[in-house]
Amino acid sequence: MISKGAKWIGWTGVLMLVIVFLLALIGPYVVRHDAEKQTGMPFQPPGAEHWLGTNDMGQDIMAELVVGARTSLTIGIAAALLATLIGTAIGLVSGYSGGWVDSLLMRIVDICLTLPFLPLMIVIGVYMGPSLITQVMVITLVMWAGKARKIRAQTLSLRSRGAVLAAQSMGAGHFYILWKHIFPSMLPLVIPQFVQAVNVSIMMESSLSFLGMGDPLSKSWGSMLFYANSRSAFLTEAWMWWVIPPGLCIVITVLAFSFIGYCLEERVNPRLRAYQAASLKGAKSAVKAALPGTSTADLLAVESLFVRYPKENSTMTAVDDVSFVIKKGEVLGLVGESGSGKSTVAAAVMQLLKPPAMVEQMGIHFADRDLSRLSPVEMRQIRGNRIALIPQAAMNALNPVMSVREQLAEAILSHRKAGKQEIQERIDQVLMQVGLTPRWGAAFPHELSGGMRQRAVIAMALINEPELVIADEPTTGLDVKVQVEIIKLLKDLQQRLNLSMIFISHDLPVVLSLADRVVIMNQGKIVDQGQTLTVAHHSTHPYTRRLIDSIPRIRTARPLQEQR
Amino acid sequence: MSANAKAAEHMWQEDLLQVRALRKTYAIKGSNKYKMTVLDGVSLSIKPNETVGLVGASGAGKSTIGRIIAGLETSDSGQLIYQGKDLQRMSAKERKQATSSIQMIFQDPYESLSPRMTIEQLVAEPLVIQKLHAKDSEQRRHAVRDALTEVSLSPDRYMQRYPHELSGGERQRVGLARAFITRPKLIVADEPTSMLDTSLRLDLLQLMKELSERHGIAYLFVTHDLALTRGFCDRLLVLDQGKVVETGTPEEITEQPQHPFTQGFISALLELDSF
Amino acid sequence: MDGSWFSSTFGKKLIQYVLVLAVALSINFALPRLAPGDPLEFFFGESTINELTPEQRQRALHELGLDRSVWEQYADFMTGVFHFDLGSSIKYGKPVTEVLADRLPWTVLLVAPSLIISAVIGIVIGAYAAWNRGKRRDLFFLSAMLTVESIPGFWIGMLLIAIFSVNLGWLPSFGAVPLAFTGGTAEYVGEIITHMILPVITITLSTVGGNFLLTRSSMLETLGQDYVYMAESKGASKRSLIFNHALRNALLPVYTHITMSLGILVSGAVVVESVFSYPGIGRLLYESVIARDYPMMQGVFLIITLGVIAANLLADVTYPLFDPRSRSRAWSREVSSSKQIGEETA
Repeated sequence: MISKGAKWIGWTGVLMLVIVFLLALIGPYVVRHDAEKQTGMPFQPPGAEHWLGTNDMGQDIMAELVVGARTSLTIGIAAALLATLIGTAIGLVSGYSGGWVDSLLMRIVDICLTLPFLPLMIVIGVYMGPSLITQVMVITLVMWAGKARKIRAQTLSLRSRGAVLAAQSMGAGHFYILWKHIFPSMLPLVIPQFVQAVNVSIMMESSLSFLGMGDPLSKSWGSMLFYANSRSAFLTEAWMWWVIPPGLCIVITVLAFSFIGYCLEERVNPRLRAYQAASLKGAKSAVKAALPGTSTADLLAVESLFVRYPKENSTMTAVDDVSFVIKKGEVLGLVGESGSGKSTVAAAVMQLLKPPAMVEQMGIHFADRDLSRLSPVEMRQIRGNRIALIPQAAMNALNPVMSVREQLAEAILSHRKAGKQEIQERIDQVLMQVGLTPRWGAAFPHELSGGMRQRAVIAMALINEPELVIADEPTTGLDVKVQVEIIKLLKDLQQRLNLSMIFISHDLPVVLSLADRVVIMNQGKIVDQGQTLTVAHHSTHPYTRRLIDSIPRIRTARPLQEQR
Repeated sequence: MSANAKAAEHMWQEDLLQVRALRKTYAIKGSNKYKMTVLDGVSLSIKPNETVGLVGASGAGKSTIGRIIAGLETSDSGQLIYQGKDLQRMSAKERKQATSSIQMIFQDPYESLSPRMTIEQLVAEPLVIQKLHAKDSEQRRHAVRDALTEVSLSPDRYMQRYPHELSGGERQRVGLARAFITRPKLIVADEPTSMLDTSLRLDLLQLMKELSERHGIAYLFVTHDLALTRGFCDRLLVLDQGKVVETGTPEEITEQPQHPFTQGFISALLELDSF
Repeated sequence: MDGSWFSSTFGKKLIQYVLVLAVALSINFALPRLAPGDPLEFFFGESTINELTPEQRQRALHELGLDRSVWEQYADFMTGVFHFDLGSSIKYGKPVTEVLADRLPWTVLLVAPSLIISAVIGIVIGAYAAWNRGKRRDLFFLSAMLTVESIPGFWIGMLLIAIFSVNLGWLPSFGAVPLAFTGGTAEYVGEIITHMILPVITITLSTVGGNFLLTRSSMLETLGQDYVYMAESKGASKRSLIFNHALRNALLPVYTHITMSLGILVSGAVVVESVFSYPGIGRLLYESVIARDYPMMQGVFLIITLGVIAANLLADVTYPLFDPRSRSRAWSREVSSSKQIGEETA
């Protein structure tokens, strides 16, 4: 799926391209003059005879534009095609074969990319003599290397992908893998590369021609401007019709390809789609009629929470009428398999859901306030201060260019003013609490192991002494030993600091050991909830039973009763 | 040759696959000098119809062994004796023939199936690559139907569908059918359950077990989840830092671990388990 | 600094630059010898060689070493280069290096301010558009910048001249200083600045699109990162989210791009300097092409290659200042060896 904006850009590009192609294809049949012959007086202004006037030689400018369109498109497309073909071939070979072939080809590519391309083109062009072929060759020469590098990167990632490995393990040969698996996946990536190459090479062609390096026998937009410039078109009124039209033609053609290229690129490059700006339509959460008088003994009360995502023509309900409460000092376990919507609940409580998510609720009451009705500023003051989140992806949750200490200090300073001394003391204190010696504060995230990073993230959540901590799968991606340490740490901190906590996990035994109460979710709905022990031993709900029964135990003779 | 040695030789003969003193190092990125040793002389053997589990922490090198056996990587030194012949010394043609009876299933059911192929094409792919039933498309189709039925997927419902229309559990079964279609003697299963939901893991292993019982398939089951091996594996090997540190039945290893690494590993798991 | 890091990463880069230089020099050496036509023409110019007698011709060939084996010639050529002897310019009748030294400062004068202005504008608007991704503003800036990027620099220059010099008469369109100048230093500096304005605008406009697009896509990527989500969940202000978390990381590739484009811009100046007849090395290249002044042409090509390499080196050397991941510290090795311990002290 691509954004509406990109689609708009893409279609505008197509429209402009159609205009340029029409000019090149049917132009000669419409414009009656021969571009090479003197058909009027010099410097004739636009009129009925010469639609765009004439140049200093009395040649018809409209006719020149038509010829130029053919030259520019021919050179642009030919050079782009060649460069893309060579680049793709080299990139495929380099990325697929690896080893010394790869190293050698990539060194050559690096060298080509470092050479200054415009002077290189000029120098080579001068020695080879100006001609259409020279232009295509020099443009190809400077463009293939960049394409080769991009295609190689793609090949590398495709080569290690499961489908290719699978074929390889079945005994498939290189040709089969390249032809059946790598090339088809590569095609959608090669096409935008080609389109972008066309716009670059048309630009290069016009620059070369403008410098007088073009083929003197075939007119192009660049060479028209070269003559206009060298014969001082500015001294007469003629520049209006002599300089502007060819320039506009170049802009429209280059822009057409770059618009289409951008649109195609966005389609295949997930990077460009990762983020959506806040507060687009549908993003604001809608509040259903709130019930008056919620019980004030509850720290957090979520009432009838719905989260929907648009999906093709309908919507997908990720969280479906979820309500629960947490009392002070209580640990609530939220259990479910992947796709059950448990993490979405956490994000909804924190008011962190971004479009295209659509949120609806009766209310999310926290300490007598309805979080869903707070302004962004008020909510920001609560986030990380009174409700803290320990997110799922601990490995990447720390900013790689800031030290741990800087990031911890930011967490404090986001919520209150504090002196340097006070901040450092608090940081040392909280680092010790999570079992890191304070000297690790000076480290950058990449210098820490996975377990240490997760401790730093926990420290960040605890630093402002929040009333509620939401731990969202805090041990995903960690080694078994480290998982045990982190869970022990959380358990210990919860008891020592008397934290209220929502513990989200797919791992039922872990949740059973930590939580006072559990909520079990399946496909966005709460299917079962109650006191931990009651649920563990007496739940008759089939889904709950299935979850409990499907837990493989290391030692069989350990029925659940013994564990607590 | 002493009688003892002869007996040992005879025992070796019985093995479907022997891995002898396998070593593998990787270059560390950005360093010419240092190399990371992933496998440090690993030996193991798999008998026909036997399920061998390979467990260890992440980075212990267990997946690498599976990948070397399946021909996805080559070792620096060591031998892979498959049915009496060294796989790594075979010609490309011999190796291709041998691999038709060694298949692999992968960790990620989402990306190991090409999104552009139908389930029928996917399951038939090993036949295409091995040029089996090349002339008879009806026979191929029949083989695909058979394989899908074996993994409890109804051929009529699934053959014309694409992977993205299937759930994770179903895809993993398609992967199993694809591995099964050449009637292999050995299937290397690289963490096949780790991306499935807990409730589906045992189902898949149950299916694999049944398949092995019906058709005499040996498995090399690579996993980090020791608990899953109970009731599934006949024998376990514990791998730590590129070396086999302990072998035994799953029961022996979980109840009485001998090696300090295994003891630490089991006690961590038990703690996680007993929370 | 870690020895192995230096020898591997940085060492590889250095080797690459030496190779680039060698390739550039070899192109310089090979082209006049491989190109069709009389090689002497490439050293003296067409008009001179037509008047040569056969004996003079022989002597010239001998003096240039063109009658010796290719390898001897190559060795001679390389020795010359390392003594900064690039031959004599046909057009100016002066050593090539001297002409280059006269012209280079003017190009730097144009390129440096353009680069800074274009970087600032590109980054600010790029970050703003990324933050507002998908909204009207983003679409507006995106299409505007793509359009600006599609306008050839020489055409921008021609239009600026037509409007501001010819029609309005506000700014000069030619050269770096007036041809005949009498006045004090202050006026002289003033003249230099007024002469710079149009070329600087032109270079800025033709580079700002690239900076914008790179910043925008880089920023879009960092905005989707987990650490930005974490920062938001700890209540960081919008300003901190944008600047400390998203932009600071997004700028890493942009910084490399801008530093490296310093070298590329010098060569891009060929076109702009030609339009404005600005006496930089770009214009010099153009003039020597027109005059078929081959030694000069090769000299310019060489100096531009050196510029590109210098810019790349600058990027490599300064990058670790901004990205701690590429800084190798003694204790980061300590960490990796003591990770277990670090966790156990916990």
